[in-house]
Amino acid sequence: MKRMIFLPLAPVIISSAAFIGMIFQSGNITVKGSDTMVILGQRWAEVYMSKHPGITIQVTGGGSGTGIAALINGTTDIANSSRPMKKSEVDKLKARYATLGVEIPCAKDGLAVYLNESNPVSELTVQQIKGIYTGKITNWKEVGGKDARIILYSRENNSGTYVYFKDNVLKGADFASSAQTMPGTAAVVNAVGKDVNGIGYGGAAYGKRIKFVKVKKDDKSPGVEPDAQTVASGEYPISRYLYMYTRSKPTGAVKEYVDWILGPEGQEVVMKVGYFPVRDFSTSGQN
Amino acid sequence: MKQMLSTLLFLCSSLANVGVAQEKLAKNEDSTDVRHELEVSGGSLPTKAEFDVLKEELENLKGKLDGLDESYIETKGTVDALKKIKVSGYIQAQYQSAETAGEATVAGGNFPSNVKQRFALRRGRLKANYDNDLTQYVLQIDVTQNGVGIKDAYASFREPWLRIFGVTAGVFNRPFGFEIPFSSSGRESPERSRICQTLLPGERDLGAMLEIMAESGSLSWFNFKGGFFNGSGSTANDYDSHKDFIGRLGAQVTVPERGFAIDFGGSAYLGGVRQPGPVVYKNVGMHGSGFKIFLKDSSSTNTGASADRNYIGVDAQLYYDLRTLGGLTIRGEYITGEQTGAFSSSTSPSSQPTEIVTRNFNGGYFYCVQNIGLSNQFVFKYDWYDPNTDAGASDIGRPGSNFGLGDIKHQTFGVGWIYHWDANVKLTAYYDIVKNEEINSAAAGSLAPFKTDVKDNVLTLRVQYKF
Repeated sequence: MKRMIFLPLAPVIISSAAFIGMIFQSGNITVKGSDTMVILGQRWAEVYMSKHPGITIQVTGGGSGTGIAALINGTTDIANSSRPMKKSEVDKLKARYATLGVEIPCAKDGLAVYLNESNPVSELTVQQIKGIYTGKITNWKEVGGKDARIILYSRENNSGTYVYFKDNVLKGADFASSAQTMPGTAAVVNAVGKDVNGIGYGGAAYGKRIKFVKVKKDDKSPGVEPDAQTVASGEYPISRYLYMYTRSKPTGAVKEYVDWILGPEGQEVVMKVGYFPVRDFSTSGQN
Repeated sequence: MKQMLSTLLFLCSSLANVGVAQEKLAKNEDSTDVRHELEVSGGSLPTKAEFDVLKEELENLKGKLDGLDESYIETKGTVDALKKIKVSGYIQAQYQSAETAGEATVAGGNFPSNVKQRFALRRGRLKANYDNDLTQYVLQIDVTQNGVGIKDAYASFREPWLRIFGVTAGVFNRPFGFEIPFSSSGRESPERSRICQTLLPGERDLGAMLEIMAESGSLSWFNFKGGFFNGSGSTANDYDSHKDFIGRLGAQVTVPERGFAIDFGGSAYLGGVRQPGPVVYKNVGMHGSGFKIFLKDSSSTNTGASADRNYIGVDAQLYYDLRTLGGLTIRGEYITGEQTGAFSSSTSPSSQPTEIVTRNFNGGYFYCVQNIGLSNQFVFKYDWYDPNTDAGASDIGRPGSNFGLGDIKHQTFGVGWIYHWDANVKLTAYYDIVKNEEINSAAAGSLAPFKTDVKDNVLTLRVQYKF
């Protein structure tokens, strides 16, 4: 009988424990999401953990969509995403947690277009890139190259890079069916590095062993290569923010980690990895 | 595989060393230095025969790797195609305890006579979705102890240019209000409100619908769903040529920096129910003795005409992120209109009814859901349904008034605790306190129990597994 009296109190006791646990959050932080941001996320985690020994940060990729899905189903604290959250994803967060998600721009990225080093083409307009990826331009000679079929390398549709490229370069049009989907930006770089007729796209930070195309806004504009200055100024036509998302306003260990990332040390890591900072600490030295 | 790769790497590095050495030899560099380099690196210059063997082995392994690469590309193509097929589902198993045996309830269906406690498989859903970006095929079945039924079977298409306009056809949720299309797997209370279950039982209907919704951009705050449906509900065959219009116009206002959002909308149902004969009960009048009665209309023109089934509703959902505590949701919906049912129940008919009783009604619900951290939710809910706003409590049950069970107003207070065990498992404990209006003391027969508040509260303990 005594047990019966305490039964209705079970929810109160359990949720009080959950509430207290939430306030005194443990030192484990889980980060999932964008493959583009995996190296950046891992570098942040390594540097932060070396300076905060009590904290464990686990970083995994899988794509922006996968990270946001994990945020919705409660299996990650932070979702890394190379695209903004979709309305349908915000609706799912609202339905489950009554929160809208907190968007934290943490770095800037120039989405580079890669060619094999031996490809004579060095400049492309955004329109030409769109033509190539939608299958309207199929031969390199149509854009000033040699007479050879263009081999397209793309990303999987759960990738934020894929979504950004589709929305901002293809303007919503579908990729050509001949585009080969690769599991990550590193795989795209690797494929283009091996394929003299290949073309790919991805974060500028991955752009090693292949060359970046100079991208022109239109026929009359000069070709621009993605670098710190051109991406920060918006001169490079295909640039984007990289985001971290939390379910609600960060608290405890997550807040401290996010604050660190947005601070001078975190933004220095951004530059070291090859992306571009969202805040400039170089002159003022202020947080 | 690992062994093969390490052998390949070893062979590559050996051959690279050998290659460099041979290159140097070919360039007439000092062969003593080359030999010294090989000795330092732990190797020695192979004979031509050994070199040929290594080269052949490397070629073999390269061939095997190319084969694996081809096989990977082929498999990937298949996997990419299979990724368009999404299978999901959920099971809700529950234990319920009623206040009285054989209780009539909307909390999962009436208890059988002599049964006060029961286990039930409330829902067993399996959904297959083929998502080809702009086109979708969806089939959802429900498997319970009562059998197998179709819940959803539809195809939807979205235009490729703006990706804003879409069409759906088949059996799917009726676009009315918030609670009707809100999934039972995500809803905090075990069941929908009494008014939703009465007006739109089964939630679905057969029809075709236009949807206007932008995923992003300046139009993303607005959405519209509207279409024409049979009106008989779920997979029931239609019994008349009259098609019902159902639609909802919605909007969203979001203030992310405040963690605040409000979604709201207005819905309409414009339909009808075929009248099989001349006898229709619609208007409420006064009896000579000064009480209200349902008036009988026996005009011959009634046969084959359409009895009114028109609703309008407004709904709103407010979301607010309470820092450190968790998100708060407050939602409400109000529906009013004319409903055609029978004397014993105002539930929408799924087949040609034999009685036509049309009533003015109103009803609605309010939810308050507070999240505590990631795993706990507390829910308080109130809903009411007055199926006949023209009949007072004392009119029902009075001899000669013609009012029946379908005219009694109910209010339900619900309180529950939801615990999310992990991403798949959810436990719910929920208690429904049901109050009926206390009708005329002269009521007899099936109406007699409603002279006082019927003991029909229900405790539900549910476990849900969703994937």
